[in-house]
Amino acid sequence: MVLLKNLQPPTEGVRHEQAETTAVMDGQRLGCGTLYVAETRLSWFDSSGLGFSLEYPSIGLHAISRDVSAYPQEHLYVMVNGKLNSEKAADDDDDDHDGSSDEIRFVPSDKAALESMFSAMCECQALHPDPEDDDSDNDFEGEEYDVEEAEHGHADIPTFYTCDEGLSALTQEGQATLERLEGMLAQSVAQQYHMAGVRTEETKAEFEDGMEVDTAAMEAGQFEDADVEHW
Amino acid sequence: MDPMESKGAESQPSTVGPVEVVNSIRERTITENSMVILLQGLQGEVTTVDLRNESTARGRVVNVDAFMNIRLEDVLYRDRRGQLTQLQDLFITGRNIRYVHIPDHMDIMKTIESQLAKIHRVRNFGSEGGGRKEFAKKTK
Repeated sequence: MVLLKNLQPPTEGVRHEQAETTAVMDGQRLGCGTLYVAETRLSWFDSSGLGFSLEYPSIGLHAISRDVSAYPQEHLYVMVNGKLNSEKAADDDDDDHDGSSDEIRFVPSDKAALESMFSAMCECQALHPDPEDDDSDNDFEGEEYDVEEAEHGHADIPTFYTCDEGLSALTQEGQATLERLEGMLAQSVAQQYHMAGVRTEETKAEFEDGMEVDTAAMEAGQFEDADVEHW
Repeated sequence: MDPMESKGAESQPSTVGPVEVVNSIRERTITENSMVILLQGLQGEVTTVDLRNESTARGRVVNVDAFMNIRLEDVLYRDRRGQLTQLQDLFITGRNIRYVHIPDHMDIMKTIESQLAKIHRVRNFGSEGGGRKEFAKKTK
């Protein structure tokens, strides 16, 4: 049933390698070989160089089984989505509705290695998150999404208060922001700033990005006409 | 062929062992903006996970990462045919999960709030006396 191919074992990003490991695919023993838990794929090769690889996105779950009543030997259990030999991509939804999945068991001669094998697979699996995401917000990378920053950055939001009415509408957070910004105003006139984000200890103001600050002159000019009323 | 030595846990250990702190900024952002944060509050609880292939797994939650990969321990796994197996450790890929049961005794709002607080503590670490100041971010 299983066609073993003459592939090369991975040489890079191998998180765990376990020799003397028998592979059993859907109940069929494939012989003894070496399991390679690599960052790009999970592979197993026997001594003659024949083996198979699994892509992590196709793996539904993996587990350590020490229940000898269910299976006579302690092993690493891997469930693959869809049929292994199918030409269809593993992420075809039809396969999930089928419920069809393949079971692979990796039985190492060294049972104590099961935890390491399992952990290595967990790490590698985490490197391949599902690309399909309902929520586009998940695409945020790098700078953290700061709600305050988003709100203060846009002058056209409808909740835009002026002066006194604004002060009373401030939340605790807003109050803290106000104090911080007023502190920044006070300091910007008084001090020189270094470029490229190197800060002096006096500036306790939290700047989101050091690159934004150029010279003191520009800073002072920037805040020259800033008034509480204009917020 | 020169096989590399097996390395230890080098990458983001977000699915290895009970880790409270989410490691990458991206994961933190995803967590903060989705219901995964509730699932992360399930750490230590015993619950049932229904998989998309009709099987179920009941065990103690070790970890849930931002991609909803769930690691359980001391698991009773029931496959779609109803066959029961005990598993010491189980890692379920987020994509394969249909439902995660929330234990009745859990206060959902409180759990979400305390998880958010943990994330904010991490984010604010650098600004209040500890950590480097050169690249201090704005804090909430």
